[in-house]
Amino acid sequence: MPETNPDFRYPLRWRIMDMAEAIADFLWPRRLSKYTGWLFIMPALMLVGILVLGLIQIADASLRTLDTATYLPSDNWSLDNFQKALGSSVYFKVAWRSLLGAALTTAITLCFAFPYAYAMVRTQSPKVRKALLIALFLPFFIGQVVRAYGWLILLGNGGMVNDVLGLVGIGPVRLLFNYPAVIFGLVQYMLPFAVLMLAPALTAIPTETEIAAGSLGANWLQTLWHVILPMAKPGLVGAGLVVGTLSLTDFAVPAMLGGGSQDFVANAIYDQFFRTADQGLGAALALLLVAVGSLIVGLVFMVFGAGTLSMGARK
Amino acid sequence: MNMPAAQPADGERHAAVLVRDVDMDFGNGPLAVQSASFSLEAGRFLTILGPSGSGKTTLLRMIAGFQKPSRGQILIGGKASDAVAPHKRTIGMVFQKLALFPHMTVNENVAFPLKMRRFNPKDIPERVARYLDLVRLGGYGTRRIHELSGGQQQRVAIARALVFEPDLLLLDEPLAALDRKLREEMQLEFRRIQKELGVTTINVTHDQREALVVSDEIIVMDQGRIQQHADPVAMYRKPASPFVANFIGVSSFLKGEVTETGLSVNGFSCAGTLPRNMSLGSVAQGAIRAEQIRISATAADLASCDTTLQGTVTDTIFEGERLLYFVAVPGLATALQIYHHDPLGHAPHDRGAAVTIGWNARDLLIFPPQNM
Repeated sequence: MPETNPDFRYPLRWRIMDMAEAIADFLWPRRLSKYTGWLFIMPALMLVGILVLGLIQIADASLRTLDTATYLPSDNWSLDNFQKALGSSVYFKVAWRSLLGAALTTAITLCFAFPYAYAMVRTQSPKVRKALLIALFLPFFIGQVVRAYGWLILLGNGGMVNDVLGLVGIGPVRLLFNYPAVIFGLVQYMLPFAVLMLAPALTAIPTETEIAAGSLGANWLQTLWHVILPMAKPGLVGAGLVVGTLSLTDFAVPAMLGGGSQDFVANAIYDQFFRTADQGLGAALALLLVAVGSLIVGLVFMVFGAGTLSMGARK
Repeated sequence: MNMPAAQPADGERHAAVLVRDVDMDFGNGPLAVQSASFSLEAGRFLTILGPSGSGKTTLLRMIAGFQKPSRGQILIGGKASDAVAPHKRTIGMVFQKLALFPHMTVNENVAFPLKMRRFNPKDIPERVARYLDLVRLGGYGTRRIHELSGGQQQRVAIARALVFEPDLLLLDEPLAALDRKLREEMQLEFRRIQKELGVTTINVTHDQREALVVSDEIIVMDQGRIQQHADPVAMYRKPASPFVANFIGVSSFLKGEVTETGLSVNGFSCAGTLPRNMSLGSVAQGAIRAEQIRISATAADLASCDTTLQGTVTDTIFEGERLLYFVAVPGLATALQIYHHDPLGHAPHDRGAAVTIGWNARDLLIFPPQNM
């Protein structure tokens, strides 16, 4: 370079990038660039590949019945495990409980998450928004199991809630180890996920559109029903899918707040694998759960579109 | 003072919109709107014109009732604008980003205010069709919003704002995002529709051409204050302040001492029109429009001008239908801007050419010092 300028230096960010490009050129020469895309999806392919391998193995296991004499899986394949799973009234009950639980949790969570997300997105005060965000993220730092324990302490017979109820002469009420307790725990666990899925969809609705609805004669309820809810649909679908699948397959909340009497499918699978050691039946149940879950997600995709999960692609 | 004299009480009683001593204080620095007062008769088309941050949108939002004035009063049809809930007002508004409902068809968008305002369901389809015809979108009713072009969406927004026959139509810079050709087409459309329906309209824009083209009256705002309220011709011919002269049209400014015939700028005698009560020798500013200055290579051509000056062309800008010259006159601080029409019919003056420029006394407007 002629006339070097001593004050002129590339920013650090540029120099790091130059270095990275030089290394990348060495490791992955330019003539390979048309394969670069494949390189980047390699991790995803490996992840999916391993999952598929696992599924194949589970499928294999599900076709082998447990020999009660030797406690070993049988050598030959049969559909006995599926017959057992589908024919048993116990598993039917568990499946129904899981599906109903997932549906209830999704509905209740969305009802709570929507106003929360709306307030968070629309509030004029940065302080309020910050407070709502912190309240939303704090539970993320506490694991699901710890939170369930927390509820055990709070809702137990000698817990704080019953203490308070005792003061007004009620109780002690059995608040734990029943179906409502499980739904309650699931809703509390799912709420942050739902709010986080809803917030971007609500942010995408211009305030002007709501003001316009008002100026055209719609009161707040009509604005909500005719404008905000339909425009927030992608967020509602996305949040619903996430909450629905997570609750359908949840393990810890039914196990702890249900106290063994409110098993979901995941708990039944766990029991087969680790209590009765009937791998085959556990695998069959797991496959059925995957099938039912995928079917529901597929149906929602077909009816409502993929929501925010479609990443902007038109359905 | 630039403000028009206070309206007599009789005029106020007939005003469709009356704004009286309105302030808006957001509590962060100077007032967003400061002692704004004006009245607008029914059926008139008013444009509030100003640069961004001049308070024009805030004023419109207060008229719409979305914001409450910190002080003062806004009456629409004799009633306070914020006395009724937004959804019960009969004000149609076209928003900057249109705010159409993307999940509804064109028909549904236009029918929405009728449904919300409980019009007779039997009349709704006919009325929607009539207003779509009015905005020249007949036959587009079943389209989705995203299937329409920018101009067509614009038309849907107008139909939606007018279909319930509001007493007042508010336009919040709805044309700002359009390209120039479409914007000019829509300006004429706004004008046509407004004249056809006779609806009282207040438009907000920063586009001076739009203000001149569409309006019966213009209010120019700057820094929260109304600078001038006049009809387009008066606004252009007799700007009340250098700000208005600069904001509407292209003007050159001269600063000098007041003489009996105009201004003395660095010893150059510049003939101009003086306002009343100007004391001789005081410093004042004059403005002259680019199209009022004549330019020629030979001084003899401009013998009829009250003032002639010798200068050099520092730049020529070809704008298609006209040329814009920048002419530096030794002794004057800034180059004068001069329009020359029919640039293809005459040999243009090249950069660096020595030229004579001239104007008549009535075209150099001199402003009192407080307006500088």
